[in-house]
Amino acid sequence: METQPMKGILSLGRSIGPEGGVPQPGIYLAEHCSSGPLLTLFRYRELLRQLVIREVKLRYKRSVLGFAWTVLNPLFAMAIFTMVFSRIFGERPNYPLYVITALLGWNLFSLGTSRGLDSVVQNGPIIRKVFVPKAIFPVASVASQVVNFILSLLPLCLFMVAIGARFSPALLWLPIPLLSLTGFAMGIALLLGTFNVFFRDVRYFYEAGAMAWFYATPIFYPPEIIPDKFKFLLYINPMYPLLESLRAPLYRATAPPADLLILGLAISVVTLLLGWSVFHRFEGRFIHYV
Amino acid sequence: MSRSDKPDQAFRLLQRSGVEQATQDLAPSLSSDRPVLEIQDLSIRLLLHRERTKSIREYVIRMLKRRRVERDEFWPIREVSFAVNGGERLGIIGPNGAGKSTLLKVIAGIIPPSVGRVVVRGRIAPLIELGAGFDPYLTGRENVFLYGSLLGFPQRELERRFDRIVKFAELEEFIDVPLMNYSVGMSTRLGFAIATDVEPDLLLLDEVFSVGDAAFKQKCEARMEGFKAEGVTILLVSHDMDLIRETCSRAVFLQHGRIVAIGPTDDVVAEYERFSGTSPSD
Repeated sequence: METQPMKGILSLGRSIGPEGGVPQPGIYLAEHCSSGPLLTLFRYRELLRQLVIREVKLRYKRSVLGFAWTVLNPLFAMAIFTMVFSRIFGERPNYPLYVITALLGWNLFSLGTSRGLDSVVQNGPIIRKVFVPKAIFPVASVASQVVNFILSLLPLCLFMVAIGARFSPALLWLPIPLLSLTGFAMGIALLLGTFNVFFRDVRYFYEAGAMAWFYATPIFYPPEIIPDKFKFLLYINPMYPLLESLRAPLYRATAPPADLLILGLAISVVTLLLGWSVFHRFEGRFIHYV
Repeated sequence: MSRSDKPDQAFRLLQRSGVEQATQDLAPSLSSDRPVLEIQDLSIRLLLHRERTKSIREYVIRMLKRRRVERDEFWPIREVSFAVNGGERLGIIGPNGAGKSTLLKVIAGIIPPSVGRVVVRGRIAPLIELGAGFDPYLTGRENVFLYGSLLGFPQRELERRFDRIVKFAELEEFIDVPLMNYSVGMSTRLGFAIATDVEPDLLLLDEVFSVGDAAFKQKCEARMEGFKAEGVTILLVSHDMDLIRETCSRAVFLQHGRIVAIGPTDDVVAEYERFSGTSPSD
């Protein structure tokens, strides 16, 4: 490792000290961040908890129905999809349940990543004023959506009872696909959060992309209807194995297919590592851009 | 590829070369006679032309023009070196834009060093901007826990200190009111109460004395006296030369990011006053 000071973003220019002298690497050693970024993040777990509490609490403050919106929102979407598509896909047993199980997972992902995308820039005032492990912001954005997801499982169960859906021990599988989905969402949130610091139009690209992504994923339609020549889309879409294995225990009352489950886990781990390392690579420069 | 700006890799680098036994040395034990703060050849670089790049289109245009764009570097801190021992109180003085606040932010870990080395041994209490991260929609109580955790205090410690914090800030009646209904003075008081209810090894002060009414100011000063009496190491940035003389045994005079003078407070303050051509009472 050569001793060069920090470079500007993506720049290749060789940088030297202010007087043109031989540069030493910039090093900061202090107790609150001495043990590596991951441990620092762990040390600030209380802050993570506080951020998640705030996110969940403030979302529906001053709203009449409050937390109920977390549940009502996907229920409305489900009702709309059911009305529009029940003619086409209606022969599926419990079509509404088919839709909502994947929809809840999709919402976790899309809300978590889009809030995570903004989170670093939004918390710029904090980043400029106190030391804080910056990865905590995208992580908190996704974590609060996970909390929302878990909270909406209870009304989902009530709904399942109401429509006479089957409960099975396969439900015990649920934590694994949920964990994969969370890891994937966090990885994407870290990536988007990093890019957004440097290019504020990432948000618009992502919004457009996410919409296309939603329709390209079998959420309100079964994967079988995709014509053969577009089948490849399923296999390059990471959300397909993630949502399908989330849906299996809830909707099909079966364990998730092993191949999809393992694929989902692998995607999750790879994305998380990629997101983490990219974020960590650039976070030192955030201070000058937020 | 330069990755040496990452602290953890720097650690490994240091460990391998045996220059420093990184982690153990950072234990907050003040019993050791090593300086609480060490700064070696510290420089901070800003790349001005890039700070404005906010969209991909602009970036591509800049890339294409790269050859014609002169790199516009700015060094708010240039080759600064000094050490502060446990219990010492160092004043940082200089004209506006000299890099005083930037220096405090580097020590607090907010701005990473571009060149050089900063070592802090012990717990930092940065009173740089009080109430950073206060959320106006949350109540005073909720903000105590949010801000406290932002400063790295564990939940249990905050619970233990909660009553004392509220009492010091004199906000018992308003603690369950959202912060947006607080006056500026009230939230500054709360920020000060949370941030100073600690046993720091190194206190970073950036002219925060100007908060609150006379009575509260007195309380703040009393708390500062307490820190002094406990032998807390203090770094104080101020334009108030009387305060610097009163508080600090040593001072640094910064100008254009460079150390002009460092030494006993009286000498450095005299140097600064000669430089700025002001009377000692300024």
